[in-house]
Amino acid sequence: MAELSLKGVVKRYGSYEIIRNASLDVADGEFVVFVGPSGCGKSTLLRMIAGLEHITDGEIRIGSTVVNDVEPADRGIAMVFQSYALYPHMTVEENLAFGLRMTGNPKVDTQRRVQRVADILQIRELMKRRPKQLSGGQRQRVAIGRAIVREPQVFLFDEPLSNLDAELRVQMRVEISRLHKELGTTMIYVTHDQTEAMTLADKIVVLRGGNIEQIGAPLDLYDNPANQFVAGFVGSPKMNFMSAEIIEATDHSVTITLLNQGNVRVTLPVERPRGGSGERVTLGIRPEHFVKAGQGDADLTIKVDVAEHLGNTSYIYANVTGGEQIIIEREESRNETNRDLLTVAIRSSHAFLFDSDGNRLR
Amino acid sequence: MQSSRNRAAYGFLAPYLLIFAVFWIWPIISSFVMSFQNTRINPWTFSPGANWGRLFSDPAFYNALKNTMIILVIQVPVMITLATIMAVLLNSPLLKAKGLFRFAFFAPVVVGEVAYAAVFRLMFNLDFGIVNKLLNAAGIPSISWFAEAPAAMALLIIAVTWRWAGYNAIIILAGLQSIPDDVYEAATLDRVSKLKQFIYITLPLLRPIILFCVVLSIIGSMQLFTEPFLITNRGGPGGGTETLGLFLYRQGFASLNFGYASAIAYTMAALAIAISLLNLWVGREPK
Repeated sequence: MAELSLKGVVKRYGSYEIIRNASLDVADGEFVVFVGPSGCGKSTLLRMIAGLEHITDGEIRIGSTVVNDVEPADRGIAMVFQSYALYPHMTVEENLAFGLRMTGNPKVDTQRRVQRVADILQIRELMKRRPKQLSGGQRQRVAIGRAIVREPQVFLFDEPLSNLDAELRVQMRVEISRLHKELGTTMIYVTHDQTEAMTLADKIVVLRGGNIEQIGAPLDLYDNPANQFVAGFVGSPKMNFMSAEIIEATDHSVTITLLNQGNVRVTLPVERPRGGSGERVTLGIRPEHFVKAGQGDADLTIKVDVAEHLGNTSYIYANVTGGEQIIIEREESRNETNRDLLTVAIRSSHAFLFDSDGNRLR
Repeated sequence: MQSSRNRAAYGFLAPYLLIFAVFWIWPIISSFVMSFQNTRINPWTFSPGANWGRLFSDPAFYNALKNTMIILVIQVPVMITLATIMAVLLNSPLLKAKGLFRFAFFAPVVVGEVAYAAVFRLMFNLDFGIVNKLLNAAGIPSISWFAEAPAAMALLIIAVTWRWAGYNAIIILAGLQSIPDDVYEAATLDRVSKLKQFIYITLPLLRPIILFCVVLSIIGSMQLFTEPFLITNRGGPGGGTETLGLFLYRQGFASLNFGYASAIAYTMAALAIAISLLNLWVGREPK
């Protein structure tokens, strides 16, 4: 087991910068998830930690060793690939033992380790099968097994569940979480699925365009997003964003008017208000933070476009002018149907304000 | 409805089926029948011993069979090994101008057979060929490539290998490129050296492709005709490079003994199928 740190890590292809000045500390035994949209650099960052990509600048440290120029095999890491990357011509047992066998590990120890992994992952009955005779979930388990058998200091997972169906993904997610508890090893996990990130991580690293946008515990990111991107990326359904304009800014509050919502006015508590009257801002509200009319700080009347009733909860979709879509989550709304007019209220304590650059006004 | 649609389909297929029957099925059947006929007398008569009996006692047939087998046993493994090495080099990320090399390796296949034979005859000429000049420069005496049977056989093997190694390399390259990169990355993380990756990952995964190339090459070697005909001067010296293909040609089109030529053709086909099947069986994927 080991801690890991990145200091000012940069990756450039020619003049194109893929990763910009990434710094991060991962504690021993921590489960860290890199999350972000496609092309944000999360897999590149993981591959740089693995040593499969060289870093252009900065420093990567695993344990107390700077590993910038250390061969991938000597970094004490094991990686689980998105495509499983199993050796197709070998049985499960051979896949698990291959690395150890090739490096001259004693046969008895190899056998012991392989059997242990088979027990941990409950794949004993699959040992004589080849990858093509396994289901997606079983293959993923073998791929994880191949990583465990190396007894690494750090596990790296590159979107390991993205090829599985929804049900299996949930099941494997729980298994990976259980595995982390059992092994207690440092794990770094890449995904574009924010639900996976929220459920698995001790710490989430949100990336966009090669930049680390925010690092924090899942609920910290949810409750206190640093900017509009993180606010929109974390949470499902995603946060609603409404165009607004500042009417008045005082020492500790800002009053805005919602431009596409009939100029409804809301006053929000803001510690350090920036900008003055007339400045364009964006109001963010999570779907579950709307309350019944009259119970909040400002009422909003919307026309229901589509209502999805999921049993325990409902999602109301409303299209308003300016192309803004509002999603409202309500527990007791089974009677709402299309084209109903619905009045809900906004609580200013549960709303976020972002400036025109997407930075949060706190 | 169904039957009328079937009729229409067969109607469209009819021209092809007709040509296939006339130019493929009929000659196959006809030559099989012919192999049991004595075609050296008129009219041809049914006489199985005339061809099949002769085949098993004809020293010229055994000579051609021996020559073909020598070429097959030496040339096919050498060529496939070379082709695999060429494919690995072509696939290397370190190689620049890949397209140019791919074309260069494939080019011998598109060169006209007569031109290629003529160039080889010139290159291996006893007195002024570049090959002997290079050998001399290295202190090795000139080799009489066309007058000594072993040298002529070696020349044939070199020529066929030159012509077809690149072709097989391109097929093997396609196989190499179908192996995902992350399998090698996983092996790298498993501390498996490049050489061991090649032996334990690349070669086993290439097995079906290599087998395909081997079978194609066996069939090609069994039918070898152009090179012994054009390069070593009709199987010379003294039948030293006469292959089954050339022997068949001489019997069929020089001596006009079509019955015997048919029996040779069927023997060649049967041998090619038997060797290919054996090869596929030996190289089959373990259960």
